[in-house]
Amino acid sequence: MRKSYVKNNIKPNEFDALIRITVEMSKYLYPYIREILKSKENFEENSVIWNDFNKRFIELIKERFNMDSMRVKKLLNQTENDEVIVKYLLALSFCISNQGYQKLKNFLYDF
Amino acid sequence: MQNKLSFHQSSVSLEIIGLPDYSNNENKDQISIISQWKLTIFDKPLIEGKIEHLVPIMNAFYIYSNLLIKNEIPLFESKLIDIKADNLYIHNIVLKSSKPNVKPLIIKIGNSLLSDTINCFDQLNESPKVRIKKLDVPNNISKKLRFGLNKKVKLFNIIFPPFIAICSLILFSSSFIYFYNPFENINKNELINPE
Repeated sequence: MRKSYVKNNIKPNEFDALIRITVEMSKYLYPYIREILKSKENFEENSVIWNDFNKRFIELIKERFNMDSMRVKKLLNQTENDEVIVKYLLALSFCISNQGYQKLKNFLYDF
Repeated sequence: MQNKLSFHQSSVSLEIIGLPDYSNNENKDQISIISQWKLTIFDKPLIEGKIEHLVPIMNAFYIYSNLLIKNEIPLFESKLIDIKADNLYIHNIVLKSSKPNVKPLIIKIGNSLLSDTINCFDQLNESPKVRIKKLDVPNNISKKLRFGLNKKVKLFNIIFPPFIAICSLILFSSSFIYFYNPFENINKNELINPE
C-alpha cells in the first residue's frame, strides 16, 4: 500500500516493535483520540476536530501511500472512510492499558 | 473498616468497596471480598451492584468492544445486560434488574465513553490491590488463530528448505541430459563399422 518500489516483507520482531510503539503512542495521545471520537458523536455541534483530523489523514495518505491501489482508494472515499477511521481510533483507544500490546496484536490479526 | 479503591479514566470512574481476606494473610489495603461497586459515567445514571454482577458486566463490555472492532454485528445479550449499537457512534446499554417489577435502565453512550469504561475495567483487571476472578481479556480472541499462525510458520520453515534443495538438484541434474556423451558415440560407430 505504501509508495515504494522495493517490496520488503516486515519481519516478526519488527512487527512486534511497531505494535509496541503504537501502543505507547496511543497511551500518550489518548486524550486527543478521545476528543476526535467525541467530535464525531456530536458532529452537528462540534465538527471542527473531526474535520481537521480527517483532512490531515487524507493528506498523509495521498503523500505516503500508493494511490493506484484499490485499498488506498477506498480509504480516501469520503463515504466509506468514516467507519474505517472510527474503528482504527477505537482500536487504539482500547489498547492503552499495560496489556495493550497483546490486545492490539489480536485486533490486527482480526482486521 | 472497608477499603475503597477508585479507577478513573476521563469521564468514567469505577469504585470498588470491600475487605481483604485476612485468612490469606493479605495486606490491609487489599480488596478480595468485594461488597459493592459503583460505575459512574459523567452525565448518566449511576450503575452499581454486587460482585456477581460486576464480572458479567465487564465481560459484556469486552465482548461487545471486540465485536465492534472485528466488523461483526455489535450485539451482546444476556439476562443481566444487553448492549447494541444504534449506529457506529452511539451504543445502547440496557441493564436489567434481578428484582421483579423494576424497569430496565437504558443508557446511551458514545464511543468516547465506551473507551473510557473499557479502560476503567482494564485498570481494575491489572490492579494488584483488587482480587477478582481475572478476565482473560487480551487472550480472548481465538487461540486457534494464534496457534495456527505459529504452526504455519514452523511448518513452512521445516518444509521449505528441503523442497528448494530437491528442486535445485532436479534442475541441476536435468541439465546433464543435453551434454555430449563420447562413450555412447564410440559404441554407435563400432556397431555401424564392425571391422
